[in-house]
Amino acid sequence: MIEFHSVSKKYSADATALRDVSLNIDKGELVYLAGPSGAGKSTLMKMVAAIERPSSGRVIVFGQDIGKIRKAGIPFLRRNLGLIFQHQRLLNDRNILANTMLPLLVTGAPKAQAEQRARAALDKVGLLERARAHPLELSGGEQQRVAIARAIVNRPQIILADEPTANLDRVAADKVLDALRAFHSVGVTCLISTHDEQVLDGAARVIRLEHGQLVSSGASGTPPSGEFSIDAGGAA
Amino acid sequence: MSPWIRQHRFALGAALSTVRKAPGSFLFNVLVVAVALALPFAGITLLDNVRPMSEQLSVDPEVSLFVKPEATREEAQALGPQLRQIIDDSKASITFIPREQALEDLKARSGLSAALDTLGDNPLPDSYVMKLAGSASAADASRIDAVVEQLHQLPHVDTVQVDSAWVKRLAALLGVLRLALLLLAVTLGVVVIAVVFNTIRLQVLTQRDEIAVSKLLGATDNFIHRPFYYTGALLGLCAGAVALGGVALALQPLNAAIAEFARLYASEFQLAPLNAAETAGLLAISAGLGLTGAMLSVQRHLARLR
Repeated sequence: MIEFHSVSKKYSADATALRDVSLNIDKGELVYLAGPSGAGKSTLMKMVAAIERPSSGRVIVFGQDIGKIRKAGIPFLRRNLGLIFQHQRLLNDRNILANTMLPLLVTGAPKAQAEQRARAALDKVGLLERARAHPLELSGGEQQRVAIARAIVNRPQIILADEPTANLDRVAADKVLDALRAFHSVGVTCLISTHDEQVLDGAARVIRLEHGQLVSSGASGTPPSGEFSIDAGGAA
Repeated sequence: MSPWIRQHRFALGAALSTVRKAPGSFLFNVLVVAVALALPFAGITLLDNVRPMSEQLSVDPEVSLFVKPEATREEAQALGPQLRQIIDDSKASITFIPREQALEDLKARSGLSAALDTLGDNPLPDSYVMKLAGSASAADASRIDAVVEQLHQLPHVDTVQVDSAWVKRLAALLGVLRLALLLLAVTLGVVVIAVVFNTIRLQVLTQRDEIAVSKLLGATDNFIHRPFYYTGALLGLCAGAVALGGVALALQPLNAAIAEFARLYASEFQLAPLNAAETAGLLAISAGLGLTGAMLSVQRHLARLR
């Protein structure tokens, strides 16, 4: 579903975000992307969402080469992705129901249908009763759950969560991760980046990046293998 | 409802929502654009009123021929058939005005009856008034010049006066005014586009977060651009309506002053507002200018945001 073939990304001569990264993520996998700040996690996720294009190598998502995808085709690719950001990026001038409806409205869905599905998504993350609240009235954890509701409302095939538990306390972080795991359990492919080692406990597959290089891939606790290519299924 | 209609309805709703959020700002922009539009609209209204008057006058120019005072009535009347022969136009009318009738007419029109009575003898000559058909084209004008030349050659003819000369001057003046108005309209059209361009630029900057999020959620460029296009067109349309309303309101006091002036010339000339088709046309042009400003602004500033 997601393939990286010898991918490098340079922002300038002195700033290389990714170096020769190769990996595969299969349909239905829950994969954590770990590494310190500046390791290249966000750049890797941006490439999956076609926000960035590789400087060299190939990134394939849903069979489409991100390096060659036409600009007009990018919105249609993103409609199959659920994006969750560290700083939620909710729109503060409208309530959380309207925020959650947005991914459906941009696709031209009828308003009534969008509202119905947004309510269902908010119900799944336990925030339906706060549908009329505005983002700034919610806690950080609640805002992140709204972001999850917005990400899953269009029933995406892949969820990309970039540091979804950063800035959250442990209780709130657990709720957010539980919600993401729940969507993975129904077959959604999840790629979650984090620098919080506690999040990785018991993870079936963790991809570690350091200085833009892939240093390991496997179950949490697997020592760095130095391999750059990961087989389908996530075995290191 | 088709997705296409639904998306346009959504965009219009988003544009109206933007207006509702900052009505004062929108109103101010409408007034600025309306002021820019009002001047050419007023000029168009004025020309639209004056044009039919000038066309009416230029269609039937008058040539007055004055017979020499010493000519007898028989000699004067003998000119009639010769005039018909020279003019050679079945549509033209030739009227003989005896000097006695001319004096009576002068008394009636000028209100100087008592003063004219003191003259004793009638100083006015016998005359002919010829209404010729058409003088709009250069060919017509040269034909009239040729007729006048031939009339001068006839015996007992004292003076030949072409009354349409001032109409030609008026038509030429209107031509210059029309050109000046066109240049003014183009200049102010650019001003309108610039105002809308800047208004939309500010909106793009204000909504940059929403734009960025929408793009990440799968919004196409058209989806993002459309509300701004509607806002620009709406701004132009409202400004056009305000400008037309302002011009129509201004006609009332102006007509009061014109009526006073026109009475001195025994005329009932009044400025009328533009008809429905012309009004709709100007509103469409106003909306088009707003849309153009919005399109230019969106293309430029969204490209910068990217």
